[in-house]
Amino acid sequence: MRELVGRVEALDPDAGAALRVITFFDQLMERRAGLENVVRGAAVLSGHPAVLIDTDRSLRIRVTPDGARTEQALPAPQAEWCRLTVDSHITVYLEHPGPAGPVEAMVLERAAMAARTILDRTRSRARPHPHHDTELVEVLLDASAPTEDRHHAAKSLGLSRSAPARVIAGFDGSLQVTAAVTEVLPDDLRAGVGPAVPLLELPQTVAAARAAARFTADGTPTDPGPQVVRAEDLGGLIMLAAAVDAGLGAGPDIAAVERTAAAAPWMLATLDTLAGGISLRTAAAALCVHHSTLHERMAQAERLLGWSLREQPGRLRLTVALMLRRLHRNRAADSVPSGT
Amino acid sequence: MTDTGSVPARVTGPPPPFDAELAAGLAVVQGGAPVTLTPDLIGALRTGHVAAHEVGDDGLRRGGSYTFADHVVPGPPGAPDVTVLVCTPAAVDVPAPVIYHIHDGGMVAGTRRSGMTPMLDLAEPHGAIVVSVEYRLAPEHPYPAQVEDCYAGLSWIAEHADALGADTERIVIVGVSAGGGLAAAVTLLARDREGPALYGQLLGYPMLDDRNDSYSTIQMRGFGVWDQTSNETGWRALLGAAYGGANVSPYAAPARATDLSGLPPAYIDVGSAEIFRDEAMAYADRIWQAGGDAELHVWPGGFHAFDAWMPQAALSQALTRARQDWLRRLLAS
Repeated sequence: MRELVGRVEALDPDAGAALRVITFFDQLMERRAGLENVVRGAAVLSGHPAVLIDTDRSLRIRVTPDGARTEQALPAPQAEWCRLTVDSHITVYLEHPGPAGPVEAMVLERAAMAARTILDRTRSRARPHPHHDTELVEVLLDASAPTEDRHHAAKSLGLSRSAPARVIAGFDGSLQVTAAVTEVLPDDLRAGVGPAVPLLELPQTVAAARAAARFTADGTPTDPGPQVVRAEDLGGLIMLAAAVDAGLGAGPDIAAVERTAAAAPWMLATLDTLAGGISLRTAAAALCVHHSTLHERMAQAERLLGWSLREQPGRLRLTVALMLRRLHRNRAADSVPSGT
Repeated sequence: MTDTGSVPARVTGPPPPFDAELAAGLAVVQGGAPVTLTPDLIGALRTGHVAAHEVGDDGLRRGGSYTFADHVVPGPPGAPDVTVLVCTPAAVDVPAPVIYHIHDGGMVAGTRRSGMTPMLDLAEPHGAIVVSVEYRLAPEHPYPAQVEDCYAGLSWIAEHADALGADTERIVIVGVSAGGGLAAAVTLLARDREGPALYGQLLGYPMLDDRNDSYSTIQMRGFGVWDQTSNETGWRALLGAAYGGANVSPYAAPARATDLSGLPPAYIDVGSAEIFRDEAMAYADRIWQAGGDAELHVWPGGFHAFDAWMPQAALSQALTRARQDWLRRLLAS
């Protein structure tokens, strides 16, 4: 009457155990379970803590036989633990000295295979293959390519056919496409973000994303400013990019900013903070200086610039001047892919 | 389907999909075989139930944090004595709250030691005493032997509170499956007889309705671990010819109660993929309609008693936490 009263326990190494392991993982896969489910299954069925490590994605999941996922720092894998590695980067460990018995061996095999299937399914989201992705992005952003090819490229990139997406234009000239709901951008990426649009309208937004990239800065004292700029946040200011390229009206104020910046190493960061429109007290705190120091700096900046920064019009003029300077400096960004 | 006379006048969809982990766990234990309790399997169920769910001495002691003892206490009028298992915290802070546990087993199986591990898990953080009653089983002992034995055990706790170190103001009745149905019935009985006051009732996927014809019951025919036929086997064992008829007492099948007012706070949970879904939800809803206090959890993709089958599953862990949280809030109030 096991079927009326049973519960899932660690399996005895009898003849039926292997079959039950196969059944378990088959059921998980049939129902499109996730990685944690796979690791939990390995732990419960083997009776040992189980760990999944994917070195390509810096992924580590550990679950104990009572089903609990361990969130704290994981112990380093021990050399003698039972393990199985597939595709050279996916390893499942059982925290149990080897050699693996028949149940452990079967659990390792099925768990590693299941993990590989799930990781393959989500591969494009994790982006471990940048070269491959570049070609897919090219197809997706080519308005002249057949619609079906573009949909296929989008699917391979992990994008849903019906969900809006954005172009991410790197300052280095690279192009990526992400689902609009994904608000997470790669670390250390200096980029412009295009507006969220349906997949097939993405090509028309490349220019906006590239223009937004030109509003970005290094975020360093010599080049203060945002590393990521969204085209949607710029609004009408995005037209400044075209104005600079057309050589319209940038000269005197850019020259004034350059002249002022040359006066002191702290000047650009100070100007950038003042241009942010925040109060002097907050600006002083952001710059880690006493507010009387900031007053002195501002007076010096005003003399060099030739206009007041105490009222809104002067602050706005500074904001625009800094943007124009950035656009001027970043003019190569949308034409030279090799970038900086 | 041949007998569709009692099918609700709606198109019945397929069962909701089982949660992936639970489905995989069930496939391991069940081996894909259909599961139905018929009267001829009651003996085998008793044997297997004891093997799978009874807690041994070490499990009751929990490494020394609890002591336990059996007490033979007066049964219902004219009926045999009843044995209750009393588990007391080693460092009891008198008077301690009491969890009064009524075990599961479809009205036909189980002992006072059945399912005690989750009870002690619930009790230990609160230093609560756990009392678990060994009620007579159907079909040898039909209704009202079960509910009256359970009521007798509750009365004994209230009368011996001082000796037990029990706080009679804070007795929480807890049961799952058939135990949940009996816990609901004892709660009704205590209200109507003006008996011992209960502080709360925790009804885990309770067996409440002998009519056995709800939408979810029809939908889950032949699926899961407790289907319509198994349920009929349990209810028929309890009620005999009265099963499903017009004259079933609410103390046998609490879903039959017309008045759910004046009850202590209720915690009710159930899986979305089990036959008891509708009766559990309806019971909570009717408590609210009567102006009462109830908390209802419907676990998506959960089959009957899924937490006992696979306590390690993420959904089982969530169920356990929800019950613990409810008890914590109840005892803090």
